[in-house]
Amino acid sequence: MLFPTIDFAVFFVVVFTGNWLLRPYAKPWRFFILGSSLFFYGYWSTSYVFLLLASIGANWFFGRSVHDSLGPDGERTVRSRWLVRIAVVFNLGVLGYFKYFEFFLTSIYDRLNSLGIHANAPVLNVVLPIGISFFTFQAISYVIDIGRNQWKRPMTLLDFAVYLSFFAHLVAGPIVRASEFAWQLDNRPDPRFVESSEAFMLIVRGMFKKVVVSSYMATVVDPVFQLPSAHSSWETFWAILAYAIQIYADFGGYTDIAIGVALLLGIRFPQNFDAPYRALSVQDFWRRWHMTLSRWLRDYLYIPLGGNRGSVAFTYRNLFLTMLIGGLWHGANWTFVIWGAIYGGVLVAERIVKGWWAQRGALGLPPQLVKTLQWALTFGIVCFAWVFFRAQSVNQALEVLGRLFSSGGGSGLVTPLLIVTIVAMVASQFVPPRIPERVTAEFAKLAPILQIVALAFGVMLVNALGPEGIAPFIYFQF
Amino acid sequence: MRPSARYPFRSMSPEPTSTPPRAPVTGESPSPRRRRGLLRTLVRPFRPSRTGTMPAGLVLMIVVLALGVAAFLNADATLRKSKAKGDGWRQEVAQMVASVSDAVGLNRAREGVDQAMGRNQDNSVSVDDLLAQKLAETDSAAAQADPQATRVAAPPKLRQPTPDAPLRFWVGGDSVAGTYGTSMQRIANETGVFTPTLDYRVSTGLARPDYFNWPEHFVKDVLPGVQPDVMVLMFGANDSQNMVIDGKPAERFSEPWLTEYRRRVGATMDLLRSENNDRMIIWVGAAPTGPNSGVATLDKENYIYWSEAQKRPWVTYVDTWAILGTPDYTYAGSAPYADGQTRNMYQKDNVHLATTGADRLSWATLSHIGRFVDLSLSKAVAPASQLAPATVKERDTLPVPT
Repeated sequence: MLFPTIDFAVFFVVVFTGNWLLRPYAKPWRFFILGSSLFFYGYWSTSYVFLLLASIGANWFFGRSVHDSLGPDGERTVRSRWLVRIAVVFNLGVLGYFKYFEFFLTSIYDRLNSLGIHANAPVLNVVLPIGISFFTFQAISYVIDIGRNQWKRPMTLLDFAVYLSFFAHLVAGPIVRASEFAWQLDNRPDPRFVESSEAFMLIVRGMFKKVVVSSYMATVVDPVFQLPSAHSSWETFWAILAYAIQIYADFGGYTDIAIGVALLLGIRFPQNFDAPYRALSVQDFWRRWHMTLSRWLRDYLYIPLGGNRGSVAFTYRNLFLTMLIGGLWHGANWTFVIWGAIYGGVLVAERIVKGWWAQRGALGLPPQLVKTLQWALTFGIVCFAWVFFRAQSVNQALEVLGRLFSSGGGSGLVTPLLIVTIVAMVASQFVPPRIPERVTAEFAKLAPILQIVALAFGVMLVNALGPEGIAPFIYFQF
Repeated sequence: MRPSARYPFRSMSPEPTSTPPRAPVTGESPSPRRRRGLLRTLVRPFRPSRTGTMPAGLVLMIVVLALGVAAFLNADATLRKSKAKGDGWRQEVAQMVASVSDAVGLNRAREGVDQAMGRNQDNSVSVDDLLAQKLAETDSAAAQADPQATRVAAPPKLRQPTPDAPLRFWVGGDSVAGTYGTSMQRIANETGVFTPTLDYRVSTGLARPDYFNWPEHFVKDVLPGVQPDVMVLMFGANDSQNMVIDGKPAERFSEPWLTEYRRRVGATMDLLRSENNDRMIIWVGAAPTGPNSGVATLDKENYIYWSEAQKRPWVTYVDTWAILGTPDYTYAGSAPYADGQTRNMYQKDNVHLATTGADRLSWATLSHIGRFVDLSLSKAVAPASQLAPATVKERDTLPVPT
C-alpha cells in the first residue's frame, strides 16, 4: 500500500479512529496497531507477513535470552556475547539470503565465465521482501542494545511486534530504536492535543515532494540513465542533478509522510533529513542525509570496528569500511559498493585535508567564498556518487559520466521548468527552519473549515501536478 | 473494559511540556462540541492551550472532510484513471462522485489547473469509448459483409517514400523499445526516406494503464501529433504482472488475464488502424529475456501479439525470438552475426538489448518493412557486423505456448 493513494487514505482513516478510541486500553490498542500494520504489509504480499512475524518472534526470543544471560549488574557475559553474535548472524543471514545470495552467485559465475569455465548461474528468482533491510536493522539494534545493557528492560512480545511492524516506518524507515519507541507505547498521548498542524504540513509537503517533484525529475533521469548514448552532455549534466533532487524528494517525501502519519497517531519518530544539500562537507552531508541510518552505522558498525580508538590509519580503515558496508546495505550490486567506497574515500580524504589545513592555516580568502567553494565541492561529490547509486551497472555509470564530456545529442529534455525546479529545490535547503515553522503556526491559527479547504486543495494540486499513477518509492527496494 | 490505570497522558512533543495545568479557556478542548454546534466548531478559529494541536475528534473530522472535498475536486481525474484500469465497483463509485462533483461544480477548480498546465483532460476523448466504437464498426462491417472479408483484406497501401517525400516513422514502447528504438531511429534516419520519431516510456506496457496509458497516448498525442505512416511498437517486458479486471485481481497468465490482455492488444491494434488504410503497424515481439532477469519468458504475450496481428492486415508481426534467439527460439545472450563473429546482444540485466542486439533487430525490422514498402530509394546499407546471418528466418507461425 503506497502512502499517496486512495487505498491508504481509507486505511488511515480507519486506523486513526481505532487508534484514538482504543488508546486508553493498552492491550487492545496494541493488538489493533499490530493487526493494522500486518494488513498494511500484507497488502503487497501475504507471504511477506510470515517473514516479518518470524523475524519478530526470533528477535524477541534473542532479546529475552540475551537479557537473561547478562550478569547480576547487567554486565556482559560470555553467553550474552555469543547470543548477540548468533542473533546478528541470524539476521544478516536472512537479509543476505534475500538480498545478496543471487548477487553472490552471479558474481561467482561471471568470474568463472571470464576464466573460460562456461556455466550458467541457476535462476533462483529470490524476491526481496519490501522493507526487510529496515526492520532487520531495527531488530539488530534492539538485541545489541540489550546485550550492551543500554536497553535494560526487554519488551513484551506484543510490544516488540508493534515496534518492529509499525506500518509508518516499516517499509522505508526511519530506523527507529527501541529506546525511542517503547516509552511511547507505555505513555498514552493526550487525545486532546494531537499535533495536527505539524503532521498535516509534513504530509502535504511529503506528498508534493514525492508525487510532483520526484516524478517530474524521473522524466529526465530515466531516459538518460536508460540510454546514455542517446543524450547530450547538457542533458546528462541536468539528469545527474535531477537524480540528486529525485532521490531526495522521493525518500525525504516518504519520510515526511511517515513522520506526519505517525504524529497523527501520537507517535513521534526521529528526524531523518536535515537539508542535506546545504552540507559543507561530506561528513556534514552524512549528518543530514538518512540520519537514522548514519546513526545506526556509527553505533553498530563504526564503533564496534574500533571507531577512532586507535591509530589514525586504524580510524581511516574503520571509516572506509563503514561506508563501504553502508553502500552494500543499499543493494546487491557493485554500483552500491563503489558508491560506498567513494564516500569512504572522501571522508578519509576530508580528514587528511582538514588536518593539513589546520597546520597550514587559512588562505586568506573571504569566509563566504570558502563556504561557497566547500558547498560546491560537496554537492559535486554527492552528485557524482549518485551516478553510481542510480546506474544499473558500473559500465552504465561510466557511460553516463563519459557523456558529460562528449558532443552530439539533443537538448529536448532540458526545459526551463526543469532548471527552475532543480534550482528551487536546492535553494529550498537554505531556507531557515523558522520559515516552515512560521507557516505551520499560521496554519494552526486557521479555523478548521479553512484547514479542510487548504488541505483539500493541497491534495488536489499534488494530484493535478503529478503523473497518472504513483511509482513505488525508490527506497522500498532497499 | 476499563482504561488502564497506569496509563497517564503524555505530551507528544519530544521535550516534556512545562505548561502548568489550568482551567479551560474559551474555544479550548476538551469538549468543544458540547459547548458549540458542529458548524461553529468548524468555522471559528481553534485556540488550544498547546499551539498546533487539536483534539483527536476534530482532527478526524478535518481529515475525513478534507479527503472528501479532495475526492470531489479530483473526481474527473479519478474517474479517468479508474476507467483506464477497468476498475469495476471502484469505477462505479468514481462515476457517482464525478456526477455529484459536476453537478455542484466542484470539478471546475481542477479543470482550471489542468487547462493552465495545458493538459488535455477532455473526457470526450474516452479511450474506452473510442475502442468500443472502433470495435463496433469492425463488427458491424464484418456482420454486413462476408465475415472473412476484413480478415483477408490487403495490407495497407503505402506510397513509395523518397528523400523529398519521406514517410513519417514512429517507433516506441517500453524501456526495451528505448534501446532498440534508438538503433531503429538511427537506421530509419540513415535510409533518408523516413522521418523517425522515438517515443518510449520506462516501466510501461499494456497491463498498467493507470501507470501509463498507451492507448490514450496514441489517441491524444501520437496519431494527431506525429501522424505516422509506419509505426513500430514493442511491449511486453513489464506486462507479466497481475492485472485488475472489473475490480478483481487477475493472476498473470490466468485465463481471465490472457483474455483481457488479448482484448487490450487487439483494441490497441484497432485503434492504430487508419481510416484510409495507409498506415502500417509493425508489432515487434518482446525480446527473449535471460537468466536472473526477473522477467517471465514473454512467449505468452508474443503469441497474443502474433495471433492478433494475423487477424488484422494493417498489422504485421516481427518474430524477435527468431532474430535474437537460438535456432530453437530460446534466449541467447550472444549469437553469430553475418560477418561470422559472435557478439553479446544484451545488457547486464539480460532484458535490455545492447547496441549490438538492438542493431541486429533494427536491420531485421527494416528488412521486414521492406516487404510492404518500396525501399528502393533507401540509402541505408547494413554492415555485416550488425546483421543476423542469412540463415536466420522469421517464423510464419508461432507455436501455442504451454
